[in-house]
Amino acid sequence: MTSPEKGYVLQVDDLDVRYSSEIDVLRGVSFALQPNEIVGLIGASGAGKSTLLRAIQRLVEPSSGSVRLGGTELTTLGSAELRDARRRMGMIFQEHALVDRLTVMENVLCGTLGRTGFWQAIRRTFDAADVTEAFRLLDRMGLDGYQDRRCDELSGGQKQRVGIARALIQDPELLLVDEPTASLDPAASVRIMTLISEVCAENGLAAVINLHDVPLARRFCPRILALHEGRIAFDGPPAGLTDAVLTQVYGEEAVEPHVSRRSSDEVDGAD
Amino acid sequence: MPTEAARAWRPPPRIANASARRGLWIVATAYAVFALFTVDVDAARIAEGAARAADFFGGWLRPDFFTRWSDIRMGLVESLAMTVVATAAGFVLAIPFGLGASRNLAPAPVYAGCRGALAVFRAFHEVLVAILFVAMFGFGAFAGVMTLVVATIGFLGKLLAEAVEEIDPAPLEALTAAGAPWASRIAFGVLPQVMPRILGLTLYRLDINFRESAIIGLVGAGGIGATLITAFARYEFESVSAILMLIISMLFVAELLSGRLRRRLL
Ligand SMILES: Nc1ncnc2c1ncn2[C@@H]1O[C@H](COP(=O)(O)OP(=O)(O)OP(=O)(O)O)[C@@H](O)[C@H]1O
Ligand SMILES: [Mg+2]
Repeated sequence: MTSPEKGYVLQVDDLDVRYSSEIDVLRGVSFALQPNEIVGLIGASGAGKSTLLRAIQRLVEPSSGSVRLGGTELTTLGSAELRDARRRMGMIFQEHALVDRLTVMENVLCGTLGRTGFWQAIRRTFDAADVTEAFRLLDRMGLDGYQDRRCDELSGGQKQRVGIARALIQDPELLLVDEPTASLDPAASVRIMTLISEVCAENGLAAVINLHDVPLARRFCPRILALHEGRIAFDGPPAGLTDAVLTQVYGEEAVEPHVSRRSSDEVDGAD
Repeated sequence: MPTEAARAWRPPPRIANASARRGLWIVATAYAVFALFTVDVDAARIAEGAARAADFFGGWLRPDFFTRWSDIRMGLVESLAMTVVATAAGFVLAIPFGLGASRNLAPAPVYAGCRGALAVFRAFHEVLVAILFVAMFGFGAFAGVMTLVVATIGFLGKLLAEAVEEIDPAPLEALTAAGAPWASRIAFGVLPQVMPRILGLTLYRLDINFRESAIIGLVGAGGIGATLITAFARYEFESVSAILMLIISMLFVAELLSGRLRRRLL
């Protein structure tokens, strides 16, 4: 166990998570994130990647262990303090998780609901500063002029960018990103990953990014965490991800051909 | 060829089944004859009824809007007011019950309580509820409005709960992750997903409530039903005919309007 230290954005210690069944989905997961650090979280389907992000946010309650956000212990917070802590972590989802019947602007402003009063929100009289920031973010996301479009009219990549803007308007210290590219084609995936790395750099954000795609993780994440059956099987730079490690994480069949370094070059070429 | 023969052989078992059915037919016919005797068909009363029916249908062909116009107008206005008030109040009250009766939102005790309440609201037919409320609050529109409010909560609350249980949970979870408080999560993560359907069902309920207001009036709960039963009691079939025609045309207009409104909502 690492002791609480200043300077880390996020410290996860010996985290165990189980759903209703007896089997632990996460077992003794520990890692810490420096400011500005981008971590790619890889692992086979069902390894517990999404569960780890959800447990950090306490969308699922950890059964033991500790999660500290900039020194605040999250696992013992009451509901009001937990809401405040959640505002400090922006979450981006695989299937966008936008409210389809609301407009782009309304969805982006949903990111401010933690600090906007209920009556103010339902009358759509959001703070001027938030609206200005929303417009700036839409512009940054390449969605200039889309504010009044309903979200169900957007393409997958556009929806994902609305989701990014919604996370950023929270003014978070940390992004938790769950497979942002899973429903996109290779070129759009690269564009979204580029955008996410850029906004992290611009805003000085740390990020944990779940990725199915090992070549993408190698390319965009200076540090890789690999989960295998709920445990951390690898923690280090992409160069350390040898075939032996990949075999352990994904099993024999997966290493050749589509998770190998060769396919990484192909995706690079496709951009 | 042998295959075709095999196919041709499929009907015989059906004939065998039909012979079993023949027995059933005999039993059924015997019961029908027996039942006919039990209900004590009285030729004299049929003849008398036929005369009254002829009277009634004669009246139907000569609707009289004028003799009892002020009664009719009052009844219609009252029914319309009952319908609108009860639907609006029922809609507002159905929301907390419906949200409470949604497994994905409410904690177990609240869920059980709201499901139970909605089941009770829906347990009895409007006519029975109206009889009860007339006994409690006396004759008139108030008992009728109460009856329709209860029925509307039961109807919309149950359907709202069903719609809420089918929502996409992902946007709601995203709002939770953004630190949104409970009320904002409902207003932004749940209601936008169910509102078009609920508003459509409310329009449908408006039209049911108008029809029900005519029925519960028959047991003293005010509205056009009260006017209708009075006209029947006085054998004023011309007025009865006029009232029925007005009810039908109002339902027709309501149907047209709600159809248009519904198309706007989606
Ligand atoms: N709500 C839940 N209730 C019960 N078990 C769950 C729930 N969500 C996930 N699990 C189980 O937890 C394990 C880890 O799931 P998780 O979604 O975290 O995996 P993942 O690594 O994100 O997989 P994928 O790459 O397919 O998204 C799986 O075995 C899954 O069946
Ligand atoms: Mg997942």
